Amino acid sequence: MPATANINDALKNHLLRALPEEDFANIKSKLEPVSCTLGKVLYESGDKMNYLYFPTSAIVSMLYIMKNGATAEIGIVGNDGLIGNALFMGGDTTTSRAIIQSAGNVVRMKAKDLKEEFSKGGIFQQLLLRYTQALMTQISQTAVCNRLHPIEQQLCRWLLLSHDRLDSDKLVMTHDLISNMLGVRREGITLAAQKLAKQKLIKNVRGTITVVNRQGLEEAVCECYQVVNDEYNRLLGRGMSRTFG
Amino acid sequence: MMKSFDVKNTVQNLPITNQLLGALPAKEYQLLFPKLELFNLNYTEVIHEPKQVMEYLYFPNSGIVSMNAVEGKQTVLEIGMIGKEGVFGLPIFLGDPRAFGRVIVQGAGSAMRINAADLHNFCEMGGALPRLLKLYTYRFVNQITQAMVCNNLHRIEARLARWLLMMRDRMEDNKFPVTHNFISNMLGVRREAVSKSACSLSRRQLIGYQHGNLEIIDPAGLEAVACPCYAIIKEEERRLSRFDIQSSVTTLKGR
Repeated sequence: MPATANINDALKNHLLRALPEEDFANIKSKLEPVSCTLGKVLYESGDKMNYLYFPTSAIVSMLYIMKNGATAEIGIVGNDGLIGNALFMGGDTTTSRAIIQSAGNVVRMKAKDLKEEFSKGGIFQQLLLRYTQALMTQISQTAVCNRLHPIEQQLCRWLLLSHDRLDSDKLVMTHDLISNMLGVRREGITLAAQKLAKQKLIKNVRGTITVVNRQGLEEAVCECYQVVNDEYNRLLGRGMSRTFG
Repeated sequence: MMKSFDVKNTVQNLPITNQLLGALPAKEYQLLFPKLELFNLNYTEVIHEPKQVMEYLYFPNSGIVSMNAVEGKQTVLEIGMIGKEGVFGLPIFLGDPRAFGRVIVQGAGSAMRINAADLHNFCEMGGALPRLLKLYTYRFVNQITQAMVCNNLHRIEARLARWLLMMRDRMEDNKFPVTHNFISNMLGVRREAVSKSACSLSRRQLIGYQHGNLEIIDPAGLEAVACPCYAIIKEEERRLSRFDIQSSVTTLKGR
């Protein structure tokens, strides 16, 4: 179980922390902390969205769901970002599922409050638009990575992105779930994970992957990981990665 | 100095067909009009390279531009396709003018463009334009997501069919110039694989290829081969063509 959600954790979210004190004070009363367990669905694809979420310790995976049920991960969002950008971009529904990939806390804001704050303009609005730009880069680079790079490198990228957003070295994650995220068959993930384990980069025990050699993973990963991080740092001016930036 | 004629239909006698411009209230469009300049989209011209600072936001009237991912100097994958249903240069609007990817003209045409400073000043005034740009950004994100999923999960032949149909829709012509090499960069697959699929499509009389021009002979047949992504993207475009600006204005005011 995640620690009890607390409004004072709101500043663990990098976007909220990037707000000037005054701007944060203005919206603080509209933020509500919530604890999320693994697998909890924040939005289902096609749902009307009632809240915008800022993860403080939880990690959320945005999954695209095909008509035949196949899935592909569009992006990973942790305390670096937000979930529900359709709300302030003018759409009321989302085309993806947002699901808790690692248990933890989020703070949320009612759709109505969000629209009101966003329409005031100012730094809050600028920040959310810039975040959308960074998100587009993440999607684009993920598209390239999924298409062109070996599964092993994709897995490294995915592990590093998740590790950056976690306080611990342990990811509670089955190969089945990772295969849904990366849109490849489970056997492919299992083989790639075994390879990384053999090189002593990760430990891979029953549903938990432990990052053992962070630097080794960074050496094995494709350029996609750093492209996304660089863009994020450039646009939002905060180091996300544990090493870069 | 605005004359009383319908300004929407006259920029150097060129009808403005861009759907975002078309969705602006007439008064707002008239204010914007003096800031717009005509820009030719020449086939295969690179509009900007990755990380290059963009100076303009473009509203295509006709033709197609493609946003490409680049590794080294090489285009490796098409991220999104933009025609008169949209704009390119969104990073200027979103916050940082250095854009991800390369933007290249994939089908000749023309666009209206506005420079970054004018755009910012105009958006500062509120109005419908920033709302339309936000809405389009949201839909563009959906388009690139759909394409990403498609590239990941579907067979080359089905993706090739989807891509050719998307080209046709934006060119509004069943015939357009394109090479297998180019398509292979767009779909992120080897050229041999594109050639093999193209041969198979042409054996079934769905497409023809002559002197660098591709022709879609049987659009319905090609649609049957395309993956469901084509129908999904098309439906999204149908929604796009009806920018429901009025309702979003009232929603925001009502809050």
